[in-house]
Amino acid sequence: MRQDMQDFAAEVRRFLDAHVAKTPDRTALTWGEGDDSMAYFSSLPPEEEREQVRRAREWQRIRHENGFGWITGPQEYGGRGLTPVHDLLYDAIESEYDVADTGVLGVVGLGMIGPTILAHAQSPVKDRWLPAMYRGDAIACQLFSEPGAGSDLASVATRAVRGSGGEWVLNGQKVWTSVAQHSQIGLALTRTNPEAPKHRGITAFLVPMDAPGVEVRPLRQMTGGADFNEVFLTDVRVPDDHRLGEVDGGWTVALTTLMNERATVGSEGAGPVAAALSPDRLSALMRATWTWDDRALRARLAELLVDALATEHLNARALRKLRSGVSPGAEMSVSKLMYGQNLTRAAHFVTDALGPRAIADTGQWGTYAWTELLLATPALRILGGTEEIMKNILAERVLGLPKEPATTAAKEVRP
Amino acid sequence: MTADESALRELRSSVREFLEDKSPEEAVRKLMESEPRFDPAVWAQAADQLRLPGLALPEEYGGDGFGMVELGVVLEESGRALWCAPLFATVVLAAQALLAAGDAAACAQHLPGIAAGRTTATLAVAEDSGSWDPAMVSARAVPAGNGRWKLRGRKSFVVDGTTADLILVVARTVAGPSLFAVDRMATGLTAEPMETLDATRAMARLTFDAVPATLVGAEGAGGRIMARVLDTASTGLAAEQAGGARRCLETSVDHARVRHQFGRPIGSFQAVKHKCADMLVQVELAEAASREAARLADDESEGFPVASAVAHACCSRAYMVAAMENIQVHGGIGFTWEHPAHLYFRRAKSSQLLFGGPAVYHERLLDRLGI
Repeated sequence: MRQDMQDFAAEVRRFLDAHVAKTPDRTALTWGEGDDSMAYFSSLPPEEEREQVRRAREWQRIRHENGFGWITGPQEYGGRGLTPVHDLLYDAIESEYDVADTGVLGVVGLGMIGPTILAHAQSPVKDRWLPAMYRGDAIACQLFSEPGAGSDLASVATRAVRGSGGEWVLNGQKVWTSVAQHSQIGLALTRTNPEAPKHRGITAFLVPMDAPGVEVRPLRQMTGGADFNEVFLTDVRVPDDHRLGEVDGGWTVALTTLMNERATVGSEGAGPVAAALSPDRLSALMRATWTWDDRALRARLAELLVDALATEHLNARALRKLRSGVSPGAEMSVSKLMYGQNLTRAAHFVTDALGPRAIADTGQWGTYAWTELLLATPALRILGGTEEIMKNILAERVLGLPKEPATTAAKEVRP
Repeated sequence: MTADESALRELRSSVREFLEDKSPEEAVRKLMESEPRFDPAVWAQAADQLRLPGLALPEEYGGDGFGMVELGVVLEESGRALWCAPLFATVVLAAQALLAAGDAAACAQHLPGIAAGRTTATLAVAEDSGSWDPAMVSARAVPAGNGRWKLRGRKSFVVDGTTADLILVVARTVAGPSLFAVDRMATGLTAEPMETLDATRAMARLTFDAVPATLVGAEGAGGRIMARVLDTASTGLAAEQAGGARRCLETSVDHARVRHQFGRPIGSFQAVKHKCADMLVQVELAEAASREAARLADDESEGFPVASAVAHACCSRAYMVAAMENIQVHGGIGFTWEHPAHLYFRRAKSSQLLFGGPAVYHERLLDRLGI
């Protein structure tokens, strides 16, 4: 490991040791004992969810006070001015500790929207919101996707028009918005010029979520829980100084966010989900279900474990690169793809081993609980960039294959 | 000793340069139809100029004292170039068997010759069933007085079996499977080449008719030795497979960039693009799995046996997928004799099955995990 990385890692450990305990091993278990929840998405009752948000904010505040609130951010906004490699190394070390889950703040707000505000917002917005976000005071959400604009984000239809006082008036509907119910601000893509080619008529705004006309409605998923929201914007007034980038220049802003989204891939193995890929756990399950010597299931189990363990090796390799100060290459994207596939295969393997016990709840420990994971797996192939989009990225950016021929609209925006 | 990243890069580029020069496709095609199936002059140069045979052997036996990590780099490059050479049989199978046996006298007798590139060697375990499980061995060894032994029986699938100077043989004694050393000039030994799916890796059937042999390691220790050798050999083979898979991916991508159909490069079609992305995923996993296993072997980590089984399974599948899809991306030309794609396909399938195939190594993995 390079000396500066070694010093940084030691500093991180000193900080974490002083504040939190190490993560308990969730893969070890005694069959029939403890929590058997296999939920991938949290579906907490509102009070517990509010408590979780409170704990996330508190941990973010402690991180901020100790210089780890925004490792890559500029010092004038409370950042540390270090590299993304330091940031990833911090995350890797922190994952060994039992800290509060800060996903509600971090994944979208601090990971994606913060850097976008820094790159494109006007001064009042930066001064007001950046320190607040990284101190844990403000939560941000991403108002990008719409019912008609998912992977083809440039198709956004939410309209923004100039009001009489120079402010902007927004009307439209956003969807798949994580943490909107807890957010103070949202980064919205809007259509400001319907006549222009689609990439050229978009403008980005930072919308205060308490502005009149913003309505957040929970969106129920196939798991039964509601981790996402629909956000309706009805005559929402936003001052011009809350505009990011140029008028009709919002696509550049969106690209900054999306680039950061790709860098914010989730790390494997956190939480109860690690259990789904734990050889001990799967072995115990085969004993408990008397499928121990089923040859077909054993072959599938071996295949599943080969992928899970090889993915662990891939992550270990990426981590070692980070520690020596090198940015990982394709490992992170491959890891994200494999993460979804490994969990999907594990969920199907286990439910097939359970047989009828996966279609109706017998009340038996560690059986029907797996359906929570099963029902979450289809989402893993879609969230944060569909599998197809991820493969395009690997093929084009890592392997250098040519892009699909441009559509008419996209051709027009080329310089 | 472990080379750091830049030393590994240097090793890789010097081996690649050497093989681009000495083992281009024309050379591979010529050698795979000749006997012996390697060029002794090139092997001597690999030993003299690059010190490849002794790279991962202890210094006390004339080697350079590096480990599986460094050897893995050489094997990746060798697999990538389909190098016809006694490398795998001599350095991975035989030398590792000698080291695993922990027999200082046998090591002192044979390893210096191997390290210097003077002696080629191999390991004969499987018989007609192809199983590498020592419990399946039926060849027998009986004492012949003065600590000498005589071997009887037949071995198949012996890599480089018609050319290796030294043959290490697993045979049964009253104490159980044991390891023996046999000189290829010994009386009573006959070797006939087997027709092979992968012509770039020569295999032979050996018949032992009261062949004089020397015990290596303790009598009855064959099972323990083979467990260790199979882990190391699987890791070495995995490196070779990862190198071959990477080559298939690169060939496909190069072709997809330049080959035009319907007025555009085929690599711009999402179906082809995704095929290449899928290959990349397999190749990245394969490299990670084989390099981690090599690292754990050198660290003498208790995680090595599991990692080795993972590497073997992961790289076997990755190479097979990459070799198949490489032909698919190339279309009609991909399944012609003239195109090199089939050479990789043959190597991929042959390597996947060499130590028993998926059903065998899946069970080995589950066994190592205590499942």
